[in-house]
Amino acid sequence: MQERIGVFVCKCGPNIGDKIDVDTIVNEVKNIDGVVTAKSHNLLCSNDGLEFLKEEIIKGNLSRVVVAACTPKMYEQKFMNTCEEAGLNPFLFHMTNIREQVAWVTPDKILATEKARKLCLAAINRMSFQEPIEKKEIDVQPDVLVVGGGVAGLEATLTLTAKGRKIILVEKDDSGKTETTESAQFRRVYLVEKSPCIGGVSARFEEVYQTMECAPCMLSPELQEVLQKENVETLTYSEVEEIVGSFGNFTVKIRRKARYVSEEACIGCNACFEPCPIEIPNQYDGGLSKRKAIYLPYAGALPNVPVIDRLNCLHLNGKECNACEQACAFGAINFEDEDRLIEKNVGAIILAVGSKLSDPTQFPQFGYGKYDNVLSAIQLERLNASNGPTGGKILLRNGQEPKSIAFIYCVGRKEKGYCSGICCMYMSALAHHVKEKLPDVKIYSFYTDLCLPKKEHQKIFEKVLAKGVEFIRSDGSEYVDYDGKKLIVKYKTESSVKSVLADMVILAPPVEPAKDIEKLAKLLDIPLDEHGFFSEEHILMKPFGAPLEGVFVVGTCQGPKDIGDSVAQGSASAGKILSRLMLGEKLELEPIVAEIDEEICCGCNTCIGLCPFSAIHRDVEKKVSVIDDTLCRGCGTCVAACPTGATKAKNFTMEQISAEIMEVAK
Amino acid sequence: MKDEKLAIVTFLCNWCSYEGADKAGNARLNCPSNIRIIRVMCSGRIEPQFVIQAFIDGASGVLILGCHPGDCHYKKGNYKAIRRISLLKKMLRQFGIEQDRVRLDWVSASEGERFAKVANEMAETIEQLGPLPELKILN
Repeated sequence: MQERIGVFVCKCGPNIGDKIDVDTIVNEVKNIDGVVTAKSHNLLCSNDGLEFLKEEIIKGNLSRVVVAACTPKMYEQKFMNTCEEAGLNPFLFHMTNIREQVAWVTPDKILATEKARKLCLAAINRMSFQEPIEKKEIDVQPDVLVVGGGVAGLEATLTLTAKGRKIILVEKDDSGKTETTESAQFRRVYLVEKSPCIGGVSARFEEVYQTMECAPCMLSPELQEVLQKENVETLTYSEVEEIVGSFGNFTVKIRRKARYVSEEACIGCNACFEPCPIEIPNQYDGGLSKRKAIYLPYAGALPNVPVIDRLNCLHLNGKECNACEQACAFGAINFEDEDRLIEKNVGAIILAVGSKLSDPTQFPQFGYGKYDNVLSAIQLERLNASNGPTGGKILLRNGQEPKSIAFIYCVGRKEKGYCSGICCMYMSALAHHVKEKLPDVKIYSFYTDLCLPKKEHQKIFEKVLAKGVEFIRSDGSEYVDYDGKKLIVKYKTESSVKSVLADMVILAPPVEPAKDIEKLAKLLDIPLDEHGFFSEEHILMKPFGAPLEGVFVVGTCQGPKDIGDSVAQGSASAGKILSRLMLGEKLELEPIVAEIDEEICCGCNTCIGLCPFSAIHRDVEKKVSVIDDTLCRGCGTCVAACPTGATKAKNFTMEQISAEIMEVAK
Repeated sequence: MKDEKLAIVTFLCNWCSYEGADKAGNARLNCPSNIRIIRVMCSGRIEPQFVIQAFIDGASGVLILGCHPGDCHYKKGNYKAIRRISLLKKMLRQFGIEQDRVRLDWVSASEGERFAKVANEMAETIEQLGPLPELKILN
């Protein structure tokens, strides 16, 4: 069938009208085969103009439309909508830019007219290869997987489940009677946490920077809300094992590790701890306290259901012991418990697996692990905590109070190659707490650079200074020695090597990625940055979106940050999901994508490695490549590389681009 | 005045360089009229075949502009363009086509001035090289 092409050239008032001889172009293109209408308009983007365009499409029964006007970045969508209103598929329309890229850059009217003419001819030549593209929608699964029960994951979970949605369905039966049914829909969140309890690292702090409030008090309402919400399934002591699928429809396999304590039967009295004969260092307290083989990381941890550590439990290692079983009045101990694999279907995934402080033994110059009273900041944090190993007393290993403490900032910064950005803040807070408890203690703070951004930080720093904490700038080459009685911190200033004596040394090691990050990155095939944190899609514009649609990387697994920033990212990622995975609605997909003709595809796999979004996979049975519509963004890189021409970039096909080249190259 | 008859087929990526060209317009910077623009989504979409076809159809030069390396809207389409166009340029030499007739460069969405500069430089280069002699090997 012969196409019925309409060409509309906008004068944009004098902007195009005075610079380009629009009438000459209109008169010429009128005579091109297939063009049934060619007209100019003074301002096509005005309401009058759009009405005119709509009428022309209907009146002329146009099957293709070319608009030569301003940049498509301004009104392309408006014109496409007008085409749609006139009953024409919006992709049967093409816009060419004769204002920004011709009229405004070419002062000579003859040259400008010639260039605009060429661009119009190119657009018209493209028309015979224009194809309608239908909007694609898929049913979505509104449920969400959140991995990591720290502040970021908790905030995301609560935001996602804050409100359900009432769906009102009105149906007419044959007799014309209407029947209204109401149903409520709720989004479910599966919160997967590797450790036995939720709350993350923040729950370990007695008083958090910068409000100096008790972290457990700040967190517990959130923890309780998450645990009590009907539409949140909290899966502690669990790990993600497998993820397949794409945005809107992921299938996730989760391993629920055997807890050996029934969550239903246990009432959380903790009577089982005492009789357990095993004692091992509690990593939650930085190894400063002991725990049993049946344990909770700390008193008051939620959910309040202990776990049995299978590596250290006598019974589980074939020895005769059932002390905990005997102590339990509720029959909650179950030595027969086994790991279970469960499967969940979700539309989006939030990774909030956090980070950890580096092991300071990596930096041997500080004597950590060698000298008893060299501690990492998290250990001092636990000493200061009322639920910690000393009940909140700052004590040396021999049980005495320290008279002097050296805080060393920027530990390992040089080696790691980045500033963790939070150490200056928490070290100031710790110095503040120590000074409150031990007013006479002498504190030296060694730093190379102070990082005090945000509106509150300088104030707290000044407070600490006022308390008499001595800040000493060194070049980062501090060295810790021991004279048999006291620790000696040697440091270099610009002019000389000096030293101070201290009873205790506190190190601020770098924040580094949690162990699980690598495994999750592999499961999802998403990249890590040079330091091993998750890469974000765009550091400024998409700072918590993974480069995979529907996957978000929030909190410190994306890079070191404080509690406030982690919470903000958790909430923001939930917002992104809420705005796209609507309850009861469908998900609209990007229309301009690539597709592969499986009849032509030779199965060479060239395209698979090129796709920046991992949107192409191999259909093993058919021996061809297949593009996942939900992941493709339409860049066309795979199309340019396809040796057989099986791959097509919608709206930018080989034929369409060739047709344009043919006219503009003349 | 320059001879603005020698067509330079110019491929611009939708996200950076096309907007850069618009910015040149907003700032009313002069650009040679033989810079003839075709919009694509990404410089990674440019098939070497498009360049060859442009020469067959009469172009004297081909200019391909994308996002600066590291800034690609699609992460690494422009890196693919670098690989393809470098290889193509080696081939063009064997056809007797001067390598300078093809230029791959980067213009960001804010760089109107840079777009105008690159466009003018390219036009200058093509004017010096003159029209592409008819090459039988291409037909």
